Amino acid sequence: MSKRKTKRHWKSLEERNANPDVLKVLGDEFPPGGPRQFRRRDFLKAAGFTMGVAVTTGCTRAPIQRAVPLLSQPEEIVPGRFLYYASTCGGCNAGCGVLAKVRDGRPIKLEGNPEHPISRGGLCATGQASILGLYDAERLQHPLKDGKSSTWADVDREITADLETIRAERGAVRFLSGTINSPTTLAGIQEFLKGFQNSRHVVYDALSNSALLDAHEKTHGVRALPRFHFDKAEVIVSFDADFLGTWISPVEYTADYRAARNLETKHVSYHVQFEPRLSVTGSKADQRFAVASGELGLLLSHLAERVAHKEDSPFASSQMDAAPVKEAFLDELAERLRQARGRSLVVCGVNDVRQQILCNYINHLLGNYGTTLVLEKPSLQSQGSDRELETLLDELRKGEIKALFVYGVNPSFELPGGESLERDLQKVPLLVSFAQRLDETASLARYVLPEPHYLESWSDHESISGVASISQPLLHRLGETRSVAETISAWRGSPKPGYELIRETWRNNLFTRQKKERDFETFWERTLHDGFAEIETDAIGGKPFSIQSVQPIWRAERPEANSFSLVLYPKVGMLDGRNAYNPWLHELPDPITKVTWDNYVSIAPKAAARFGISDGDVVRVDTNAGVAVELPAYIQPGQHEQTLAIALGYGSKLSARFAKVGPQWIDALVSVGDKGVVGVNAVLLLRFGNGILEYTTTNVKLTRTDKQRELACTQTHNTLSVPKKLQPKGSGPRPVLQETTLAAYLKDPHSGVEDHEEKEDLWPTDHPYRGPRWGMIIDQNACTGCSSCVIACQVENNIPVVGRDEIRRNREMHWLRIDRYYSETDSGQIEVAYEPLMCQQCENAPCETVCPVLATVHSEDGLNQQVYNRCIGTRYCANNCPYKARRFNWFNYAHDDQLQNLVLNPDVAVRSRGVMEKCTFCVQRIQEAKIEAKRRGEKVSDAAVQTACQQSCPSQAIYFGDLNDPQSQVSKMMANPRRYRVLGELNVRPAVGYLTVVRNRPEEATKGSKEEHHG
Amino acid sequence: MAEAVVALRPPLIEGNKSIAQVTHDVCAPMEARPTPLWWAALLASFSLLVLGAAAIGYQITVGVGTWGLNRTVGWAFDITNFVFWIGIGHAGTLISAILFLFRQRWRTSVNRAAEAMTIFAVMCAGIFPVIHTGRPWFAYWMFPYPNTRGSLWVNFRSPLVWDFFAISTYLTVSAMFWFIGLLPDLATIRDRATARWRRKLAGFLSLGWNGSYRAWQRYEVVYLMLAGLGTPLVISVHTIVSWDFATAVLPGWHATIFPPYFVAGAIFSGMAMVLTLMIIARKLMRLEEYITLRHIDRMCKLVIATSGIVGLAYGTEFFTALYSGSSYEQFVFLNRALGPLFWGYWTMVGCNVFVPQLLWFRRVRAYIPAVFVMCLLVNVGMWFERFIIIVTSLSRDFIPANWFHYAPTRIEVATLMGTFGLFFTLFLLFCRFVPVIAVAEVKGVLKYGKPRSEATHE
Repeated sequence: MSKRKTKRHWKSLEERNANPDVLKVLGDEFPPGGPRQFRRRDFLKAAGFTMGVAVTTGCTRAPIQRAVPLLSQPEEIVPGRFLYYASTCGGCNAGCGVLAKVRDGRPIKLEGNPEHPISRGGLCATGQASILGLYDAERLQHPLKDGKSSTWADVDREITADLETIRAERGAVRFLSGTINSPTTLAGIQEFLKGFQNSRHVVYDALSNSALLDAHEKTHGVRALPRFHFDKAEVIVSFDADFLGTWISPVEYTADYRAARNLETKHVSYHVQFEPRLSVTGSKADQRFAVASGELGLLLSHLAERVAHKEDSPFASSQMDAAPVKEAFLDELAERLRQARGRSLVVCGVNDVRQQILCNYINHLLGNYGTTLVLEKPSLQSQGSDRELETLLDELRKGEIKALFVYGVNPSFELPGGESLERDLQKVPLLVSFAQRLDETASLARYVLPEPHYLESWSDHESISGVASISQPLLHRLGETRSVAETISAWRGSPKPGYELIRETWRNNLFTRQKKERDFETFWERTLHDGFAEIETDAIGGKPFSIQSVQPIWRAERPEANSFSLVLYPKVGMLDGRNAYNPWLHELPDPITKVTWDNYVSIAPKAAARFGISDGDVVRVDTNAGVAVELPAYIQPGQHEQTLAIALGYGSKLSARFAKVGPQWIDALVSVGDKGVVGVNAVLLLRFGNGILEYTTTNVKLTRTDKQRELACTQTHNTLSVPKKLQPKGSGPRPVLQETTLAAYLKDPHSGVEDHEEKEDLWPTDHPYRGPRWGMIIDQNACTGCSSCVIACQVENNIPVVGRDEIRRNREMHWLRIDRYYSETDSGQIEVAYEPLMCQQCENAPCETVCPVLATVHSEDGLNQQVYNRCIGTRYCANNCPYKARRFNWFNYAHDDQLQNLVLNPDVAVRSRGVMEKCTFCVQRIQEAKIEAKRRGEKVSDAAVQTACQQSCPSQAIYFGDLNDPQSQVSKMMANPRRYRVLGELNVRPAVGYLTVVRNRPEEATKGSKEEHHG
Repeated sequence: MAEAVVALRPPLIEGNKSIAQVTHDVCAPMEARPTPLWWAALLASFSLLVLGAAAIGYQITVGVGTWGLNRTVGWAFDITNFVFWIGIGHAGTLISAILFLFRQRWRTSVNRAAEAMTIFAVMCAGIFPVIHTGRPWFAYWMFPYPNTRGSLWVNFRSPLVWDFFAISTYLTVSAMFWFIGLLPDLATIRDRATARWRRKLAGFLSLGWNGSYRAWQRYEVVYLMLAGLGTPLVISVHTIVSWDFATAVLPGWHATIFPPYFVAGAIFSGMAMVLTLMIIARKLMRLEEYITLRHIDRMCKLVIATSGIVGLAYGTEFFTALYSGSSYEQFVFLNRALGPLFWGYWTMVGCNVFVPQLLWFRRVRAYIPAVFVMCLLVNVGMWFERFIIIVTSLSRDFIPANWFHYAPTRIEVATLMGTFGLFFTLFLLFCRFVPVIAVAEVKGVLKYGKPRSEATHE
């Protein structure tokens, strides 16, 4: 090819005249000084990488099959944000108002309604856990006939036909239920029963207060339950009434009790408890005496005698036995009661009419009726009549009943009838149960017409006279259930949905009794918004106190030597057995014993020593009537020496589903007992006599068997002191929980506090906390150990259930635990103190320094953060935590139940195995508040954030907020002289402060000098 | 001419061995068929290894919950075994590196086996930091590898990260040291080999060793440098391991005596393990003239020296707690001695402090069965020492409501047995395939104690 010089082109004069070097550069498309040399290799690298990224990001875990967006956005629903609806809790009969947190169309958390007069923002453990019942796969989805699924049309047809026949034959129809305080349902039942000549609505409570009601009938002429106002009482004397734990309306009473114990205003009530077993209420008493159950009547008489004497009233007492408690103390107590005349309250929790009458008498003498006990506007929370129940059982035995409808109760499980009761029930030709699950009674019934859960149906309540609450459905019914009111309306020929039935009652009966709103619709809307409405009620007429009804009790019923009295009681959470389906409540450690997944026989330490019994030995309890149960023993400090106590509500077939709850591996044990259910049903030890259900039996015998059953207990060491032989010289109880007496506190508010001043740091601070700094205060004086915070935390943070075997191995997952310590006073009384402990969010956290992968770090607002996806599970952080607040996922806890997974909080991760977790101060709620504040352009206010535990506490013992805000409640509490930090001397700088327990005692000694040997 | 064997000092190698004899004595058993006893031992230890592997497999698949740990006692068998095995490894490095720098020529008979023991022990130990985690498939996150997550680093303040570096360094240096030291012996095997595979393998592994002056000179230099590198590791590795505990806030862990205490304890248990292995090996492989009573005597002296330091450390811990005034600290010691695990504590003190005192007596040191039993007890005692330190401090710490006991599950015991299985399997294979004694180095000390004038006999 010829080397012809090509024509030279130039683009500008400069180029034409330019330097050859410059020309060279211009000719080079990719000059060296310019953009990087992009070689072929580089291009292929980039292309390959991009391709790889595209492929991998394109791979999703789960192939999306159908994603259909909503065409019209439902109003007010923003995905990812909560809505609150007011409703009423159906966990027990107390009727606390709740606000349900609804997310994406379903409720996932219940919170007490702050405006409701019963709950006032708090909610008990049972209430918090009741949401799980909604998402329960064992709830019946359809009506059953003879155990097989049927349809409503079929059962309605058959039942109405049967009822027609019965009506024509004038057969006996009975409606057996628990306390119903729904005006709509009650009206419906009454209307229904009117259609039969021989019909009756029999109401009974498995945890009966029939004697209390009967007593008021005798003394005041009305069979009513007064409303107790503990906040107005300066002196409270309780005879075995567990009003802070399980008696009638514990949330309400706890809030009131707390209001009466206010150290800031020095308005502190004086609480004396006489009881055979150590109950939650007894653990909070200022003076607590362990007396036999048979001695309570005698004690009441002694107290009545003294009060009567001071009030110049007659009381026949010449032949009374000596009091089981020091005379001097009773004198002093009577004097205090007199001085607090009209501002005191004596309550009795024993189901015995004579004792209740005596109790009424004392209250009457002290002028308490009208202030602390209000009978005119009574409580409707317990209305059962044991007498009517007895009559019904009689009729059943004689086979006289043609139709029996059972609603809200489980008589085959709750009553001491055993097999004969089962047979009697089966004699009824038309036995219909409205149970939600196939419980013992429903298994005998011919028709089971399941009622819906209270969160998915319309209902109303008038639990206390003058306050009508509403229950509204928060999601579409999950099965084909029908409420009782709806069923009855269907049978009466005019089927109406619950909504209409409720509105009808409200329009006709309740709207008319209020004057605030003139228009029904406005009234209705306001009620739905508030959750309740205040209506006027007529004061029930009462007669003047009838002194003739008072019968002094002169003798104590003490058991013989080597025999015991047996007391049957309900546990916090499990109550009468209605919650046997609920794994959270099974796993909730009992506030006093910290035992889970079992019931047991509580024995006093001295009695156990005499019989050579230790914890876990299976013992046999025999009554005179020939009934026996075998249960593991638990040694209970503070229990009366000749008393045994067994909890009711266990041994239900509803708990058979828990055999394999918890991780399954080669050495795992089942969570149920020998009979395949959790615990043993002690109901056969109840006695029915003279129209009263008796929860105590005298002269029972105790024998050891050779069997053992290790109890799954979350706390094995029960005092603040170490065992004596290991005690270093000169050391006392560990100052991990600090307490004082009222006398010492009044002298010096700092008394009892061993707090260490925070040391000067040599280094500049790691954490400047420029914005809010979250902190918490726990008032141990207010804490009753009720454990509602524990369940609230479990619901809010998706904490798994681990099962009995894991608890036995000390692997519970509750982020918040309540430690319970015993101590003994000089006079031998056992005192109890509670310490709720969660992650203290330490500023100098020992866990943060030792995590190798930085899975736990400190946030800029004072939280110790746990990064689940970074944690590899070395457990060094848990070892280094002096509070042992961290929880490790030892296994993958099963989440196979898709229905139950609906209760999970979508804002909180569900942790996999091998990952550490702990309290986060509900960081999801903090984040929610921060996001909302940011959206509004404001600073986050600490009132906007309430941790789940704080929100749920009926006693408002937890304060949470911004420590950097001097006006916040928690900042003020931190400056409280009672404030100390647990293990503050380690200089970990926890963000949680505790306020000392202050017992209303005259002595200034802060702690007992004797140590309790148990544990 | 009459040969008067004049010995200025007792010879290190008895039997007046010639260089060729040394080679023969050490290499011939390797080249012969393995004995039935070897097979039986291998079968036993391999079974244990398989059992352990199954247990570990089950634990990784199902979860750490298959161990007996709980929310109070987060570490027990896992970290006890970890520290136990790392400790055992220290004797090998001491013999190889420190005794080399101190010119203790007697080490040549035992250093090969001891260093092999170290490597196998570190391998056994290294299992535990990985499997004790809840998510072992992410255990590599403890290593600061370059990543694109904003560059996420590890927590350099955490002793577990230091552990990671310490153990990996230790394993690397020990392995390198051992291998470099093996080169002349591998060449010897290569030169003696008749079977083709053996010649090829030994040839490959001996990296072309030709025995020239230059090779030897470089070898000596590298050996010295590696000894220099290995020496600080003896102190530093177990110091770092002790910091796992000493930097924690727990009473009973939070003690400054831990680094020297643990290092001494490591050498103590390691020496005992070396003695145990050597006593068996010298008998079964007929190496009594190489690993003589004098070697055993010297190793026993090391044992009693370290036992003394360990005993002193126990006393120091106790004294520190006493004068500290902290009732939490004081309680820990009372709890250890008199609480529920008192039997473990007294086993520990008995086996570690009292039993080795018998070694003060020369007659005892010369009586092999006694030394053997004592060394076994020492290892038991040292295992219990780590167990007691870890478990008593965790199970009863500050807040009494947290107190809870610990009991191992079958899986944990099987895992521990498995590590013994791994250790002994590897050691048996080592005895079979690698010269148990450092032939080249022993040849270098044949003249020890003999006057210079005496000619060597080929």
